[in-house]
Amino acid sequence: MKLVIFNGSPRYKKSNSALLTEQFLKGYNRFCPEPVPVYYLANYKQREAAAEIFKQAETVLLIFPLYTDCMPGIVKEFFENIAGESYSPAKKVGVIVQSGFPESIHAEGLERYLKKLVLRLNCEYLGTMIKGGVEGIQSMPPSMTRKLYGKFQVLGEYFAQNNSFEPGITEKFRKPYRFSRTYIVIFTLLSKTGITNFYWNGQLKKNGAFEKRFARPYLD
Amino acid sequence: MNMKITILNGDMSNGTSDLSIYIGNLARQLKENHSVDVFPLHKMNLHYCSGCWSCWWKTPGQCAKHDEAEPIFRSVINSDFIIFASPLMAGFTSSALKKTTDRLIVLLHPYIKLKNGESHHRKRYDHYPNFGLLLQRELGTDEEDIQIVNTIYDRFALNFHNERKYTRFIEFTNADEIIYEITGNTAIH
Ligand SMILES: Cc1cc2nc3c(=O)[nH]c(=O)nc-3n(C[C@H](O)[C@H](O)[C@H](O)COP(=O)(O)O)c2cc1C
Repeated sequence: MKLVIFNGSPRYKKSNSALLTEQFLKGYNRFCPEPVPVYYLANYKQREAAAEIFKQAETVLLIFPLYTDCMPGIVKEFFENIAGESYSPAKKVGVIVQSGFPESIHAEGLERYLKKLVLRLNCEYLGTMIKGGVEGIQSMPPSMTRKLYGKFQVLGEYFAQNNSFEPGITEKFRKPYRFSRTYIVIFTLLSKTGITNFYWNGQLKKNGAFEKRFARPYLD
Repeated sequence: MNMKITILNGDMSNGTSDLSIYIGNLARQLKENHSVDVFPLHKMNLHYCSGCWSCWWKTPGQCAKHDEAEPIFRSVINSDFIIFASPLMAGFTSSALKKTTDRLIVLLHPYIKLKNGESHHRKRYDHYPNFGLLLQRELGTDEEDIQIVNTIYDRFALNFHNERKYTRFIEFTNADEIIYEITGNTAIH
């Protein structure tokens, strides 16, 4: 199984996608020690070369952030470059979509799109993993990311052995699909205290931009 | 009533495609009674969003990239109606259009609100214009493709506090109908 990974985050190597890929590969390499090439679509040269690399791969994993409930523009460009061909023998293609909001409903349309795209390429669809609530992991202490990273390692181990996504974690990651009533009540109460804006306010203050947070610079 | 209309043209050809000709004609007719901005996205100097969050926590509401996007942001947020125009490519609207809609995040505010049990970012501006999709088919476009595109743009609308009013195809809809749907005034003489 010749595996190739495409990282579709516009943040390039400093992305959440890169952090999660690293953990996935830690697990993967326990069973398949051969180094797995990772290509970054945010890099212009690698993006240009990506269609050719895709052509030669046997198994492809694509990981990218959700952008406006869809794939980022650079990932769409990549899709345009690989489309219009029917790949034979069929490649196996799996996708990992991670996002800021915790609920997987945001990626619902995108998931249907990805499935159709892989079929359009005449490839074998390994499914789409959807993991919300990922924004912020870069600044979290290890104690807060240990569980998430552990799961990505298990996913990697499983993928190395089965060439597919581990179903239990895949299902867990999708939760919540939408928020429950209880959560809504709690969130509403908390938002009155301002704590739900904690992450953004912290960053705004750090940059000395808190007072200007409601600016509307593009209004005529 | 004079309306402000923004057309984001996601055509990726050199501007001679059926879609661009259609848009040229549509804009000309609309301009008789309205103010219209047309942006040929693929020919403009527009960078991809790099996810830096400057627009949310360094220079609130303002994008850090120095390219030709600012007139688009201004036009979009001050208009009464937006047309997202694009050929379907690999089953979705073009990367030229997608990269532009990614950048529109600058028009939102980072704070989060819940709507129907879903998180959404709150408004930065009071008013977000509704939009229509104007598409050109590709080889193999089927009903499922169209449903998927509509679902994703309806989700975009949830995020952007607006509504998708329609999806039309240049192969089946003449410009008069599009104008009628935007302005409520028939342009048929
Ligand atoms: C332009 C833009 C649009 C985004 N749209 C969404 C969205 O619609 N839903 C969501 O949950 N997160 C959204 N996010 C958040 C990212 O998906 C999230 O921060 C992700 O973890 C970033 O991963 P990366 O560091 O690998 O790029 C968006 C971020 C940016 C910059």
